[in-house]
Amino acid sequence: MPVVLPPNVSEKNFQKALDAFAGVVGRQWVLATDEDRYTYMDIYAPGDADEHIPSAAVGPQSAEEVQAIVRIANEYKIPLWPISRGKNLGYGAAAPEMPGTVVLDLGRMKRIIEVNERFGYCLIEPGVGFFDLFAHLQERKIPLWMSVPANAWGSVVGNALERGYGYTPYGENTRNICGLEVVLPSGEIVRTGTGAMSNSACWQLFKYGYGPSWDQAFVQSNYGVVTKMGMWLMPEPEATLGLKMQLPNPDDVGWAVDALQPLRLSGVLQQNPSIGNSLRVVATQTPRSQWYQGDGALPDDVLRTILSKYNLGWWGIDLRLYGYDEVNEAHAKIIKAAFAKHTKQEFEVTKWHRGEPIEDSGAGVPATRALQIINWRGGRGGHLGFSPVLPASSEHVLKQFHSTKKRYEEIGVDYYGSFTLFERYTTNVNMMVYDRDDQAMTSRVRNLFKVLVADAAKEGYSEYRTHLSYMDDVALSFDYNNHALRRLNETVKDALDPNGILAPGKQGIWPKAFRGSRA
Amino acid sequence: MRTKPRFRSLAPFMLFALTTSAAIGVGVAHPRHPRPRREDDSAQKFNEGEKLFRARCGYCHLAGGTGTIMLGRRLGKDHALLDQRTDLTAAYVKTITRVGLNSMPPHTRIEVPDTELDLIAAFIARPASAHTPPASPPSTRATHE
Repeated sequence: MPVVLPPNVSEKNFQKALDAFAGVVGRQWVLATDEDRYTYMDIYAPGDADEHIPSAAVGPQSAEEVQAIVRIANEYKIPLWPISRGKNLGYGAAAPEMPGTVVLDLGRMKRIIEVNERFGYCLIEPGVGFFDLFAHLQERKIPLWMSVPANAWGSVVGNALERGYGYTPYGENTRNICGLEVVLPSGEIVRTGTGAMSNSACWQLFKYGYGPSWDQAFVQSNYGVVTKMGMWLMPEPEATLGLKMQLPNPDDVGWAVDALQPLRLSGVLQQNPSIGNSLRVVATQTPRSQWYQGDGALPDDVLRTILSKYNLGWWGIDLRLYGYDEVNEAHAKIIKAAFAKHTKQEFEVTKWHRGEPIEDSGAGVPATRALQIINWRGGRGGHLGFSPVLPASSEHVLKQFHSTKKRYEEIGVDYYGSFTLFERYTTNVNMMVYDRDDQAMTSRVRNLFKVLVADAAKEGYSEYRTHLSYMDDVALSFDYNNHALRRLNETVKDALDPNGILAPGKQGIWPKAFRGSRA
Repeated sequence: MRTKPRFRSLAPFMLFALTTSAAIGVGVAHPRHPRPRREDDSAQKFNEGEKLFRARCGYCHLAGGTGTIMLGRRLGKDHALLDQRTDLTAAYVKTITRVGLNSMPPHTRIEVPDTELDLIAAFIARPASAHTPPASPPSTRATHE
């Protein structure tokens, strides 16, 4: 099949660049066969995977090799798309935004450089997966806990750089970043925070450094290639206490958010719970065809039958308190009292104490079973995530829930949503699960996505993260003062990356050289 | 405006994946008088392959994993655990790893280099006689769920 080359690069120069890359990393780590290109595509995409096809991939093993690759890319004007482990599933996986971009695959950089038990942090490279770090901590009996996303196949660094989250008190993963090592688009290497001192004693302890703070400028960004990340880890608590409840009615999510938000804000509840509709549980257990084979979205009465068979409510809530037994008990009492104002139901209570199996603790334990949902429709399953951020109040949550569910039903896709509750906002992840072989369905899903972005923008909601195909759409919704933020982002981009070689189009930030590619 | 890339279809790959038969049995006869040295070599190779299988494929393909659940649903419980299958050829394992199947995504040569994939495929496709007897308890596997 024909190779899609980077824009404005001749076949001859492309080949020369690949040869130069091979001179740095070795021939075997320059991946440029048809099969290689295919392995970097977003296979879950709803029929538009070929809009994001890379031309090749290159796999360095060290920051020095990254520097050398970036310099060669500047020489030949080859755009690079850095990935950590490439498991950004539902958001584009390993694929680049602009077709023809070369994937800079950091998966071979897998060193866990330091784990500090006393101060609760690690310093790791981008190729370290959640499973790798978990195994490292468990094998050495280091009493530090990770924050792990629902599907934990990916990279710890990559997930934090995309603002992923887990469900422990350290669940906002990007907030745990403390100190980065970054290769800039020029090839120069820089360390952020106090790491900018060559003998820093506090690189992973003090986030801010001196003067402007840069860590977050490299998050969801195309300003540099992160080659090391300091990340705070949570000390293992003495005990945890779990509170579970099934909420029978669709509108129950409203009062549940209103009851929990003040408790999040005051610190009674320190983790971010996910209130998810129970279809997501059912979808990991059974195929849809077992329940319904008709047209359109799953009818409400069929859903009721399924839920009652499994003894599930419309929504499930799973809260967890971390710390000392007595404190957990006291906090549980406060949470129970807040819920008693709305329901006669009682929480199902579970307890864990240090030394008992970690799987029962509420610690971040990596698993990939969440991926099961994509088998729901049958055929070659695919999924796409629409994830707006809303104020954590019933007024916003109920309105957004009903409007999204209605949109799903209009195109015959089953509603699958969750609200993850932080102190002030809630992230509303909506999954669209489809059969990639059903072209009519995938085309409806693609249209739906644009409608949902527009609906959310009208309400003043942005997305916390989005799929490659919608990066420009979401960026457009940040329109204050005629898109002043985009002008700022692109001014910085052009200053740091005059040749525009690093991740053109990432988060809608286009360098001058490729600005014409904006959707 | 973005120009549509010339590349069009992945169909040739998928066809290749689907027509590569998984049903070819592993009727590789053991030599009647194997040289002990060679047997040691294969045992060592299968051992390495098993370790790599756990490390690279174990995310989904050990007991309780998402791949195991999906295979069990599609082909029955007897066919759910890849490392206990006796009907898979090395070529099939390698092809599916690279192109994916149904909901399983493809794996790059950086995630699973060719040298590792050769060992993993040889382990999965090892002769029935090299399989651990089914009575052996799966004690080292992930047992939750």
